[in-house]
Amino acid sequence: MIRIVTDSTSDILPDEAKRLDIDVVPLTVRFGDEQFRDGVDLDPDAFYRRLPNTTVQPSTSQPTPEQFAEVYRRHIGAGDSVVSVHISAKLSGTLQSASLAASEFPDGAVRVVDSTTVSAGMQFLVRTALADVAAGSDAAAVEKGVTDRRDRVGVYVLLDTLTYLHRGGRIGRAQSFVGGILNVKPLLCVRDGEVHPEARVRSRQQGIAKLVEIAVAQGPLEGLAAFHCGAPAQLSLIQPLLEAAYPDLEVIPGQLGAVVGTYSGPGGVGIALLRAR
Amino acid sequence: MAGKASPNLRLVHEPVLTTGGVELLAALRGALAALQANQEEINDLNVFPVPDGDTGSNMYLTLRSAVEEAADAADPSSAAAVLGAAAHGSLMGARGNSGVILSQVLRGLAQGVEGQARLDVRAWAHGFAEARAVAYKAVMKPTEGTILSIIREAAEEAERGADDTADIAALLERVVLASHAAVARTTEQLQVLRDAGVVDAGGFGLAVILDAMSRSIASSTGPSGSQTPEAAGDHPEAPLETTGRAQRLQGRRGAAAVAAKKGGWGYCTEFLIHGPGLDLEALRDELGRLGESALVVGDEDLVRVHIHTGEPAPLIALASSRGRLSKLKVEDMSAQHHDVLDRADAAATAAAQPAAGRTAPEVPRKAIGVVSVAPGQGFRDILASLGADAVVEGGQTMNPSIEDLLNAVRATNAETVVLLPNNGNVILTAEQVDGLVDECEVRVVPTRNLPQGISALLALEPDAGLEANVERMTAAIEHVHALEVTRAVRDSASNGHHIKAGDVLGILDDEIREVGSDEAGVIEAVLGSADAPPELVTVYRGGDVTAADADALAAGLRERFTQTAFEVHDGGQEHYSYVLSLE
Repeated sequence: MIRIVTDSTSDILPDEAKRLDIDVVPLTVRFGDEQFRDGVDLDPDAFYRRLPNTTVQPSTSQPTPEQFAEVYRRHIGAGDSVVSVHISAKLSGTLQSASLAASEFPDGAVRVVDSTTVSAGMQFLVRTALADVAAGSDAAAVEKGVTDRRDRVGVYVLLDTLTYLHRGGRIGRAQSFVGGILNVKPLLCVRDGEVHPEARVRSRQQGIAKLVEIAVAQGPLEGLAAFHCGAPAQLSLIQPLLEAAYPDLEVIPGQLGAVVGTYSGPGGVGIALLRAR
Repeated sequence: MAGKASPNLRLVHEPVLTTGGVELLAALRGALAALQANQEEINDLNVFPVPDGDTGSNMYLTLRSAVEEAADAADPSSAAAVLGAAAHGSLMGARGNSGVILSQVLRGLAQGVEGQARLDVRAWAHGFAEARAVAYKAVMKPTEGTILSIIREAAEEAERGADDTADIAALLERVVLASHAAVARTTEQLQVLRDAGVVDAGGFGLAVILDAMSRSIASSTGPSGSQTPEAAGDHPEAPLETTGRAQRLQGRRGAAAVAAKKGGWGYCTEFLIHGPGLDLEALRDELGRLGESALVVGDEDLVRVHIHTGEPAPLIALASSRGRLSKLKVEDMSAQHHDVLDRADAAATAAAQPAAGRTAPEVPRKAIGVVSVAPGQGFRDILASLGADAVVEGGQTMNPSIEDLLNAVRATNAETVVLLPNNGNVILTAEQVDGLVDECEVRVVPTRNLPQGISALLALEPDAGLEANVERMTAAIEHVHALEVTRAVRDSASNGHHIKAGDVLGILDDEIREVGSDEAGVIEAVLGSADAPPELVTVYRGGDVTAADADALAAGLRERFTQTAFEVHDGGQEHYSYVLSLE
């Protein structure tokens, strides 16, 4: 049997992971001396409640190779093989830990794949990989399905501020958006594994309109998700607009978890999409 | 030869049969002195009862640049050389719409005298005719009741006068009288002037120039009759009272009335044809037949072509058979052949590059740069922080010169440059820049105010091409409204409002919406009249407003408009206590 493993930056919460019968290896979030397993000890709502009330800025760290090895050992021991789908290597060292752990096993037993994306974008790759498994693909074909599809995934997020991304060192090419005097809301996109500047808007309303415009321009789509960063009201603004634009698609709602939220900061709203071939 | 030159005495003076470079330079100096003396008078002629009066200053600065260069003419004794230098100087120093049109009048005058060292009445008449032709061509939609009407009537009178007299002094006297009569008529020609009961400011400025030149030349009687500015005429430094205050409560500036509008039907096609040996008249004729709104200007070495046509291809083919083309630009409305023409555009731009040579080759050039214009340090800082490569100081009361803009464009070291004028009165000046710079392609996104300029800049996508960015930026300015708050400088009636000096005016997108006694009340009234409250209002406080006052204003607005977010920033602009952007 082929098992799918991912990490907590997919923002697949434990209940959903259980339902999908996959393993979600948590990254770690720290507030000073306090340490939490992303999504396990600290759910997104608790994280965003805490974020504005803390004087210590949170930091994150990738899972240890041992965390992955434990999961892989369990599956390999049961005679299964593993396809392990992770956050872009340009955004996190998670893939490195997973690769190190995988090297313990015979070639082809654990296939580690760079999703080149994050969060709801990764979820598309995980869910389609599960569908491939259910359809009877072998591990190599499942892996190839992920690498083929990842170029069709787009993640776009409207942030309230670039402060968190900048401080966290994940700003990438959006560096050019830093340093404005005006309160400008950055609209960023994750493409080729990196954060790119997409647009700058003056208000959330303009930004939401822009996100919907992007979703329409990127069509036809196979998958569409909307997420928020501790701001459910924003999600309820954009979701009906997306549903109106794509009446035949289910717009999957979600929230950025603690690790990704450490870099987005609170107040953001975004979309993830999987373009049709 | 003494300074007395009033019309009644002129007849008894020796006739002036020819004028050379020395007399012309003296006449231009006299005109400059007169313009300086009348500067405030001209500035005060505004149709908008807001303190944006800079027509006089703009014309003065433009003419000053002309006189400076004329003083260094290669052959000071040659009328053609002095006028040629003046024309070039005025183009480089042109500020504001009226300055640009004045530079075109001088350019036409210089062309019209056809290289003659000394001018007789025929040469003068010919010069005026050419000045009229060139000035009209500079404006895409010529409007009567502006400076254009003045040069037209002056040229017509010169044409008639040259048949009647060989005395240049007599000819110019008639031209001056005709000009003043034309100025007086502007009130009836333009609705805005009629509403306000004033004459056109730019037209009045031109009449002042012609009047002073006439006086100077009448006081010279021959080749030896060179004059110092002080002696050149009857107190040229005293303000003229030819039009009478009663006629002008306030007035529309000629420039505002003739602001060029881009667009039209089919393809707006522009390019340069490189000589030598170009036949301008033949080109104008054969190219002009292939389209509308044809503007074919230049000389035998370089001709600039601007034509609206349904079929650019035959036009370009014909032109390229007459000389090498560069800076080809085709703005398509109907999008057919878009890609083909884009490639031609890119190829033409690339072809123009090797000739540049102004920038050191080792410095890599940016693909796209942005030059913006703003009054006030606060606005300039904001624009720079949003990625403008250069921000030129200027705005409502101090229009930047073409040269200021040119220097900023060159300083970007970019292959293509987007120019954001951020003021209706700077757009025409900005549009001249592309024709004067070889090393890069310049496009103007016609932003009429700072909020539009900021929106346009936010839409910049550095990885996209020039055309795509011009499109994005132009689309972006439609989604922002500008509310400018100022105080009326005089009593007037405008847009159904009776305005008293000192009243606070709320001007939404160039239109007076509210008149009141205090800023907060006017702003609240304008915001309250909107169909839906804006989501975000950015308040830019002027140089005379304290941060505490602006914050207090914003606090009051937040209480009244709970659905709207208010941000306060330091704009630093003059004359407008507040500029608000409504999004």
